[in-house]
Amino acid sequence: MRRAPAEIALSAGVLGLGALAAVVTARLPGEGGYAGIGPNFIPAVVSGGLLVTGAWLLWEALAGGWRHRGEPEAGAEHAFDAAAFWWISAGLFAHMALIGWAGFVVAGTVLFSCVARGFGSARALRDAALGFALSLAVFAFFVKFLNVNLPAGWLQPLLGSAGI
Amino acid sequence: MGETLNALLHGFAVALTPMNLMWGFIGVTVGTAVGVLPGVGPALTVAMLLPLTVKLDPTGALIMFAGIYYGAMFGGSTTTILLNTPGESASIATALEGNKMAKRGRAGPALATAAIGSFVAGSIATLLLTLLAPLVVELALKFGPAEYFALMVFAFTTVAAVLGSSTARGLASLFLGLLFGLVGIDGQTGAPRFAFGVPELLDGIDVVVLAVGLFAVGEALYMAAYTSRLPETLEKISGSLMMSKQDWRRSWPAWLRATAIGFPFGTIPAGGAEIPTFLSYALEKKLTRHPEEFGKGAIEGVAGPEAANNASATGVLVPLLTLGIPTSATAAILLGAFQNYGIQPGPLLFQSQADLVWGLIASLYVGNVLLLILNLPLVGIWVKVLQIPRPKLYGGILVFATLGAYSLHQSWIDLVTLYVFGLLGFAMRRFDVPVAPAVIGLILGPLAETQFRRALSISQGDASVFVTQPISATFLAVTAALVIVPWLVRRRAAAQGRR
Repeated sequence: MRRAPAEIALSAGVLGLGALAAVVTARLPGEGGYAGIGPNFIPAVVSGGLLVTGAWLLWEALAGGWRHRGEPEAGAEHAFDAAAFWWISAGLFAHMALIGWAGFVVAGTVLFSCVARGFGSARALRDAALGFALSLAVFAFFVKFLNVNLPAGWLQPLLGSAGI
Repeated sequence: MGETLNALLHGFAVALTPMNLMWGFIGVTVGTAVGVLPGVGPALTVAMLLPLTVKLDPTGALIMFAGIYYGAMFGGSTTTILLNTPGESASIATALEGNKMAKRGRAGPALATAAIGSFVAGSIATLLLTLLAPLVVELALKFGPAEYFALMVFAFTTVAAVLGSSTARGLASLFLGLLFGLVGIDGQTGAPRFAFGVPELLDGIDVVVLAVGLFAVGEALYMAAYTSRLPETLEKISGSLMMSKQDWRRSWPAWLRATAIGFPFGTIPAGGAEIPTFLSYALEKKLTRHPEEFGKGAIEGVAGPEAANNASATGVLVPLLTLGIPTSATAAILLGAFQNYGIQPGPLLFQSQADLVWGLIASLYVGNVLLLILNLPLVGIWVKVLQIPRPKLYGGILVFATLGAYSLHQSWIDLVTLYVFGLLGFAMRRFDVPVAPAVIGLILGPLAETQFRRALSISQGDASVFVTQPISATFLAVTAALVIVPWLVRRRAAAQGRR
């Protein structure tokens, strides 16, 4: 029998989310006017649906694994590369932290560099330069042509004087 | 009939104004260029390019989007043939033969039959859309809230439970989408739900954040973690792009048959283009006079699925435009684009905004022609785009993906939401959970709830309204049959197997 701890964990996650949704739903108002049902009715249905499918998936996971799971072709995947996964994540976290404060271009440069590193690029300086050029071009295009407001951040003096 | 022709001619007058023609042109070009990128399917292309249209008028924006939608489809087939990494499930059938043809030095004819076949199928399908849409609109005008709700339940059920490899996983995906759809302020009473006091969540979860999170962030995490150490092989285009006489003779019947399969499948909630492309592949394999070539690069195996893919992509627009019901993930995002402009597709739209709808339909004809002209001569450029190494490709994709989410409220909270959906997309990709039900659930769930409560308001809370109205009862009966019959068949088969 196939043991699949990840499948068990994910099934439990669906079940847990259903339980959380049910708790939140219980505090929603129920009065409904002419319809006789309030804003809590559909949330109750959805919570129930998550609980049932979560339980169903958990049962499948415990009884031999999820059914009919497509397996990737041989050679299409290698073992989980944790470093790569965390480089991408780190890039996104840094981007969240930086964008409002250091600005779109700086955040984009860091994100691009981290993602490139996660995909195995070893030329950090070149990646940073490329990321900077791309972010700057995107910034200029969106701010200048589309009038979308993006934070200039640390580069305010530079970009400000460029008329952007 | 005459009325339709008149409306369509009027639509062409809208679509062929220089400005709108330009938006259409930009749409197909950008759509192809982004759709060519490996791992970027039509759904992600449309979602990522949504911010580009913020400042356009609705007609121009939607014409541009129609171009992006078609362009992404064209671009995807180029990638599949040359790189053998299907960006979406609908391209898997093409990959079976197309990549083999490229390996044998026949990439040119493979690309040509895909492009011309897509044009033929897309044009015929657009014609069918033109003829069918007014009929559906007439029927849909008779629909009340109960009928709409029943129809939406039917769509949810087929997309989540009937199609796909596992009912349990499909339903889990659907209910997750429905839960995300509930986040925000209840449209009828103003009560906040599942927002936990976060202002960014009170607005609801934008379909762009969910789609980009699942498709871009999730895919980047997956590709980095499981494939970044594998080598890539790109097939070269050697020799002529031209199809030989024999290629033509083998291609055109396949295009027509595939159109006949693809279009109807697009119009019903059957989860997009995956099923018709495989059906077309199977049919061509059966009918061919060259069975020995299948599996080694048979041109029918490219011509059919590609045409079926495009015909069904156009078919999807029938329920989207006439009923406001998306039947694929991409259509759900297009519906989100409509809603951004305060437009709710449906039968009334054909009356209140006839210019917009018919301009959009006319622009589909124009878009098909533009793509045919653009695609083959520019194939050299698309190949350059394909060659972008993965580190830079995903770096660029994520810069755009985060931009789309951040520009909603200028807030990092949306970036946290995006990352959470990225983790979800990673898990769903890894554990074979379909994503389309979640995206459709997010956008269609709130609409279904509105219709449900409206129907009950009219009936003063009497729930029997859903089964006493004939149209609504029919939809619900068909839905129930779709769930119960396959289950009974399986049970019987299992029982006989045991005997």
